Amino acid sequence: MLLENLRFIFGRGFADKVSEKSGDPAVREVAQLLRKRSGSPFARSIHVRMVDAGSPNDVELEEGLMMSPRVDAERFGVHFVASPRHADVLLVSGPVARNMHIALVKTYEAMAEPRAVVAAGDGACNGWEGKGNYALAEGTGRVEDVLHVDVKVPGSPPTPYQLLAGILKAGEALAQKSREHRK
Amino acid sequence: MGEQSKQFIHGLETSVKAGSIEGSHEQGLCLIIRVLPRYLIPVCRACLSKGAVFDSAFVSSAGQEKGEFDVYYLFQAASIGRMVAVASRGHAFDALSETVNAALWDERKIQDLTGLRLAGIPDSRPLLFHPESGLPPEHPIGGMPFKRPRSAAYPMAGTGEEGEFEVAVGPVHAGIIEPGHFRFHVVGERINKMETRMFYLHRGIEKAAEGRQAASILPLIEQISGDEAVANSVAYCQAVEQCLGMEVPKRAEHIRAMLMELERIYSHLADLGGTATDVGFTLPASRFAVLREDAMRLNASISKSRFLHGQCIVGGVASDLDAQKRAGISGAMARMLHSLELLERMTFTSSTFLDRVFQAGTVSKGIAKDLAIVGPPARACGMHTDLRRLLPYSAYSQVAVNESIEKEGGDVLARFRVKLAEINESARLVALLASRLPPGEIRGRMAHQKKPQSDVGIGWAEAPRGSCTVLVEIAPSGAVKRLACRTASFRNWRALERAVEGNIVPDFPLINKSFNLSYAGTDM
Repeated sequence: MLLENLRFIFGRGFADKVSEKSGDPAVREVAQLLRKRSGSPFARSIHVRMVDAGSPNDVELEEGLMMSPRVDAERFGVHFVASPRHADVLLVSGPVARNMHIALVKTYEAMAEPRAVVAAGDGACNGWEGKGNYALAEGTGRVEDVLHVDVKVPGSPPTPYQLLAGILKAGEALAQKSREHRK
Repeated sequence: MGEQSKQFIHGLETSVKAGSIEGSHEQGLCLIIRVLPRYLIPVCRACLSKGAVFDSAFVSSAGQEKGEFDVYYLFQAASIGRMVAVASRGHAFDALSETVNAALWDERKIQDLTGLRLAGIPDSRPLLFHPESGLPPEHPIGGMPFKRPRSAAYPMAGTGEEGEFEVAVGPVHAGIIEPGHFRFHVVGERINKMETRMFYLHRGIEKAAEGRQAASILPLIEQISGDEAVANSVAYCQAVEQCLGMEVPKRAEHIRAMLMELERIYSHLADLGGTATDVGFTLPASRFAVLREDAMRLNASISKSRFLHGQCIVGGVASDLDAQKRAGISGAMARMLHSLELLERMTFTSSTFLDRVFQAGTVSKGIAKDLAIVGPPARACGMHTDLRRLLPYSAYSQVAVNESIEKEGGDVLARFRVKLAEINESARLVALLASRLPPGEIRGRMAHQKKPQSDVGIGWAEAPRGSCTVLVEIAPSGAVKRLACRTASFRNWRALERAVEGNIVPDFPLINKSFNLSYAGTDM
């Protein structure tokens, strides 16, 4: 018991093994993306600014758990930053509420080039069904209708590994953009 | 009608005026009282003087005639074991918030939704709509055209002390958190006054539900607040079931209660970990995060959703908890409780932790009563607010719930202790409910679902953050005519404003975390 207690308090080995043989398709995808990216300028460092533009907070909780010791996205160089000035990736959850439209656009405009946008969750990717909702930007709240979206991560909400795969894909898009930028 | 209800109504009439009550009936655990608009506020105040607690105020369009509305003022009357709804139909109403501070946000919301002007309301700034972001063409309820405000400014006054300056924070914050605006009026580091401006996440959920079949909008209800999805769904389902006169099988009620307790556990684990994070005590913070992630994985193993989404449906639950799943739950609970005990010892023996949480963000009982706050913040200053015990719904009428109360304190530490005790109590309840799980169906029969038996239904549940109340009106076709919802966060935001007064700005994130209110659940 004592050993177990000590292991819980000081122990290591909380992080999941991320392998291409995992039973979870999202974990396999993350493993593949990690293998592929080694040559990219964003291989070990992607800085992310998140904006909740209208999600029911579940996407944010999953983003938090993506940084928890089990998933530990920081070991892959994914890091959440406080200011959009420091960010490479804008992680937007939605649907975009009318009252968040200005703040979302301002956050995006504060980011330096190259930058990429990830739409996280069904609300952000597809907006809400049905006829125009008075409280949503452009009536449906799709992030696409407000900003240029590079990567879509569907799910209600997406799991931490699905979010991580989306951010790594945005890293690929960033590498592409930075090559174009240099030309 | 029961004897207690009759006496309650008689008491109201004697203290207001004979003949002031038009009609009344019982419906499930609700007592619905209809009054003329001119008696509305006196009857509401009589309810409060009889010991009932203000719960919420809702509005809906009365149908044919434009500009006519139904308003409902809800009170928790634990003394008679009922939710009392005072309803009235008319074109113009007075404001209860003129004398009852707790009703202010509810009534500002009513004004924004309908375009009504409640006479005597102390604060008439818009709540739901931000004029700088553009206004919809008409008010969402009743379709009255918008009166454009003369300016888009939203004045936030300080206390006027010499040397006071403003710190504006948000809507986009530094961490992984939802949007909201906080305006601090500070002298040096001391906060004189803090005011929130919310509703950045207003998505028109209540309006979006209109015209859709009552049984089909649960995915929308889950969008109110992702981590309170089960509690909000249960409250909504109970309102609909009351409207349709549906019986829910006992087994389904037990499973619903188990899911609600699992939701409370994972939600509180996040709060406790967040408190440790915000005092900079990273070791327990990361261990709480491990427990949290494991709780989410347990949820996924029993329901396919890490947030237990899609489990609660109108008439019952979507899937059964078989013996294998129950064994999985009880094993996970035992491991969690063991780790929690170690974490409890680690935090309560650390002076760095206790120094930060003791007497930080104190809410006095007077403020708590004035604002009728709910949930762990209320229980942390000695108020009994647990609807599982006060107005026992669903399976809670069959199990005794020990309410976790801190008699004194009302600070971050007291809220931490309440949540810790509630996790232990929830784990006990999960085991108890699992051992008593009755056999039978998990879904009620839909045979008599064709026509609603009454036009309005009211449901409630004790969510992790406190009680939530849902009112639903259903048309004869089975479509939702009006959905209205009041979450615990909506009730508690104003208490946070008061809790930070006199504290220093760097303690704000800690105090905010100890309330852990849902921005999305407030804004809807």
